[in-house]
Amino acid sequence: MADLRAAPDASAASATLADRPPSGTEPTGTRRRRPGGLGHRSPLRPWLLLAPGLVVLGVLLLWPLVRVVLLSLQDYGLRQIASGESNWVGLQNYVDILGDSYLWTTVLPNTVLFALACVVLTVVLGTAVALFLNTLGGFWRGVGATAIMVAWAVPAITGTYVWVWIFDPLNGLVASVLEGVGAIEPGTVNWFTERLSFYAIATLNVVHHGFPFVAITVLAGLMTIPHELHEAAKVDGASAWRRFWAITAPILRPVFAVVTILSTIWDFKVFTQIYLMPGGNGGNKDVFNLGVWSYIESFAQGKYGMGSAIAVLLTLILLGITLVYMRTLFKEEEL
Amino acid sequence: MRTRARRPGVAAAKTVGIVALLAFSLFPAYWMFSSAIDPEAATRGARLLPAGVTWDNFVTVIDDGGFGHYLRNSVLVALGTVLASSVVALLAAVAVSRFRFRFRKSMLVLILMVQMVPLEALVIPLFLQMRNLNMLNSLLGLTIVYLAFALPFAIWTLRGFVAAVPVELEEAAYLDGASWGRMFWRILVPLVAPGVVATSVFSFITAWNEFIFALTFLQQSSKYTVPIGLQKFFGENTTDWGAVMAASTIITLPVLVFFVLVQRNLSSGLTAGSVKG
Repeated sequence: MADLRAAPDASAASATLADRPPSGTEPTGTRRRRPGGLGHRSPLRPWLLLAPGLVVLGVLLLWPLVRVVLLSLQDYGLRQIASGESNWVGLQNYVDILGDSYLWTTVLPNTVLFALACVVLTVVLGTAVALFLNTLGGFWRGVGATAIMVAWAVPAITGTYVWVWIFDPLNGLVASVLEGVGAIEPGTVNWFTERLSFYAIATLNVVHHGFPFVAITVLAGLMTIPHELHEAAKVDGASAWRRFWAITAPILRPVFAVVTILSTIWDFKVFTQIYLMPGGNGGNKDVFNLGVWSYIESFAQGKYGMGSAIAVLLTLILLGITLVYMRTLFKEEEL
Repeated sequence: MRTRARRPGVAAAKTVGIVALLAFSLFPAYWMFSSAIDPEAATRGARLLPAGVTWDNFVTVIDDGGFGHYLRNSVLVALGTVLASSVVALLAAVAVSRFRFRFRKSMLVLILMVQMVPLEALVIPLFLQMRNLNMLNSLLGLTIVYLAFALPFAIWTLRGFVAAVPVELEEAAYLDGASWGRMFWRILVPLVAPGVVATSVFSFITAWNEFIFALTFLQQSSKYTVPIGLQKFFGENTTDWGAVMAASTIITLPVLVFFVLVQRNLSSGLTAGSVKG
């Protein structure tokens, strides 16, 4: 979920784990073959244990995934809901979406540019914070880590309300300060109506929520790098900048790959943060991204087939990114 | 040779750095709380320091019949998710990390893959499904959906905790004549309990924070969970920001506490489960 970023969002959390799958099975695996684990020989038992989980995942994740593809090939609206009939239209929904200039001039740029900006800023800021925390002594490192943990823990939903309140055109902090110094006339500016400023605020929100995950993960990686490497390079006269690129970056390449790809996946499908901002819930078509567009088409317009096609499009983009993720993961860690 | 830490310039830079980091990280949380206790937050514009301290906003929120109800709904859904996902995930985790069976590897890949399913894409088919089953507006329906969301992560994490329990303990129990079920409850469950707690917290937070499915499924206000109920403090034209921020504080608090608590637990579990450094 985009909200795992809400790593407090479990999504972020699941990412933390997913990027470092516990690999303790190898040793146990060899032990398991020893005679003595008598009960473990029962061929049916593992399947009985797995059954409830497989049923839940199959019925609630895999089948709906198939269903959304089927729906995207239908003109499925309120009439079809009422009658229960299907109205197959083949790829018509996709033709409509891809032929709509709205996709190319508004939704796709909103989705892609916003995701790119968020990913770059999240990873750069998170890495900078990790490098900084790594130079601190134990106490201040703990204080810093706890502070960013707080930023991480604030749920996407309440975090978004806070940023909306900070930028509230009427009484918000930014408006008050700017009016106080005479930079703007009271009540004349609304940052939420303009696409660019709308997304600037959304970016601030998402980056603020997302950088702690990168910082904590990279910091964990940094602490595994032997001190001697940096000391030796320092003796050889390498600057901090050069040491980062020559030592830290190559060693942590897998960590960077994973946090970048996960951030990309999350930032492409940001929903809550956009939907909850003024205009994001349908009032202002200029600020939709793919996720919000799919939602509005389905639940506000009642065009579930069209909404499904948009959702499939988003899924295909995420699938491409996920494939890269899986390749990185499997290159680094054997299951 | 001077060490870097003793150079005054570096020390000053570090001080500036830590202050900037704390300010940036904590500001929204501070702003949320300070607006919540500010008696004039909504009426007189915002200031860095609250005009006073009042708990009126909290009283407004709690007294408001609706919000207390939403809190109760959220607690029910979150606890249900935790309970169901812990049991189901523990069974599955034991299966994949304690048994060698055909398709074991495929199961692991499957669990990893379903974590990648974009839940946003599932909201349409699941909405239609729930509608057919007459389970829109049902907290049970929402709980079942959250169970599915929490499960892949919970299985994947618990797998590490289970793998960290020495097999020898189980073998000893067998040799003493214990049945598999007895061994499971008496040996395995107590030893992986910290892992179950850690994953439970993440399941709880998933259910507690979830927005898009709650927004779609819950159409009667009596069934709202807190993320949806929060919107009730937004007026047509004006918003009672003091109340919104007080309610937001109430929603955030458990997540914050859990998150700080579990972080240590989880990292210890990760280290236990993964040998690679």
